[in-house]
Amino acid sequence: MMPAPLLRAQNIGLDFPTITPADRKIMTSPVRFLLDFYFSRSLRKSVPVLHDISFEIYPGDRLGILGLNGAGKSTLLRLLAGIYFPTSGHLEVQGQAKGLFDVSMGMQAEATGLENIYLRGLQMGISLGEIKQKLPDIMEFTELGDDIHKVFDTYSSGMRLRLAFAVSTMITPDILLMDEWLGAGDARFKAKVKTRMDGLVEGSRSLVLASHSVALLKQLCTKGLVLHKGEQMYFGSLDDAIKCYDEIVKPKA
Amino acid sequence: MLKIDKGRWQYWFYASWFKIAVRYRKTMLGPIWLLVGPLMFITMLGLLFSVIMNVELAVFVPHLAFGIIVWSLMTSLMNSGTNVVFHNRPQMIHSGTKLLDLVMVNLFNSLLQFAHHILVAVGVYFVFRWALTPYAFVSIIGLIFLIANGFWYGVVFGILGARYRDISEIISALMGVMFFITPIIWMPEAEGRGGILGPYLSLNPFHHFLELIRAPILGTPIAPLSWIVVITITVLGLTAAYIFNARFAKQLPTWL
Repeated sequence: MMPAPLLRAQNIGLDFPTITPADRKIMTSPVRFLLDFYFSRSLRKSVPVLHDISFEIYPGDRLGILGLNGAGKSTLLRLLAGIYFPTSGHLEVQGQAKGLFDVSMGMQAEATGLENIYLRGLQMGISLGEIKQKLPDIMEFTELGDDIHKVFDTYSSGMRLRLAFAVSTMITPDILLMDEWLGAGDARFKAKVKTRMDGLVEGSRSLVLASHSVALLKQLCTKGLVLHKGEQMYFGSLDDAIKCYDEIVKPKA
Repeated sequence: MLKIDKGRWQYWFYASWFKIAVRYRKTMLGPIWLLVGPLMFITMLGLLFSVIMNVELAVFVPHLAFGIIVWSLMTSLMNSGTNVVFHNRPQMIHSGTKLLDLVMVNLFNSLLQFAHHILVAVGVYFVFRWALTPYAFVSIIGLIFLIANGFWYGVVFGILGARYRDISEIISALMGVMFFITPIIWMPEAEGRGGILGPYLSLNPFHHFLELIRAPILGTPIAPLSWIVVITITVLGLTAAYIFNARFAKQLPTWL
């Protein structure tokens, strides 16, 4: 018997209200420009960002989401995390789906590395005591040493990446969500990520990773979902997903 | 919905304490700067306006001091409450912070500032030493009402402010004017009602909130109307917050 899926998405879609500023050319229509400037007569439209997406994640699955920039990968991750809610379809998540979506944005630039660990940890629902327990492990992964007392703003991108990754893997959610920033590190970082990820996704947990780096996905994932302009092109084994993705990437002859 | 356990309270407190710590990190006085503003205000305006209004210093300064620190709390709640969602856009979208978390951190932040300001009020008390009666404890009830209102305001106006950016402009303009219409730098007449504004004073909700906190400490009576107004606003506001949260919290991140 198949175990119950951790996550089931049935034809989910997301519409986004977007504001398109009306024609703002001052030379051609000065009156319009003034009206627009003072009364902000912009048009509010609902635009579909994701459309008709269906897939399932079973315990132990490692799903890679492939797609070009702007295909809707990050938006889909945020849907799974419960930041956005689908405007159509049905999304069922068993347990927790959590992750970090942007290296610097989730962090407070003026706070020290250590303060960021506490802030993010508390925000994710870990108590002060538990964070203190996990601190040595985090410190070891980040390799920051005394730099942990420096302000996050002064960190190099590698330091930020290590801290962000260590912080966001403090919790062990049932489904770990990772955005493509993960691919930014050097070889050493990637090797460390691989070992840590393997530990995290062990057993019944799963991973969803969005990226356009095929190499990274091959290393970490077993299944693939291809997104193109908000539509689902393919869902299934990673190899076939990569083939499908290559079709999209290939410039039209 | 949000699970509210010990960890949540720790987060609200730590995140708001940290905001203040960072703001004053590179200054010499640190958060003591929070005391400088009200202290100067009370000294200068106390000396000046007690002459203009022809009131004894010992009567006017406590009235002014408690008025100004409660007013700072109200403006802080009002102004930051309308901005709470769109100023924290990255936190909401990138780390999935929920609306209620943002509102609570904001509320704690205002209260921490207020806690600093109380030191100034205590200082004023030691200078003038008027008689405090057990009646003064009623002002804690007034403060609890104000905090509850800060909460619903953050939820309702945080949502509205994210959707209609004009609201924060309206509120900050309004608060500038309300400062002069509320009896802070002037006093209602000895009978307690009116002053410069006459009967219109009772239309000002801020006056009623202020009365509930200030009057018990100064030993002046609270009009029953103030209780009615404050309780009504609190009940209506909390209901609105409940409805807004249920109706809009899910769509909110897509508005940002």
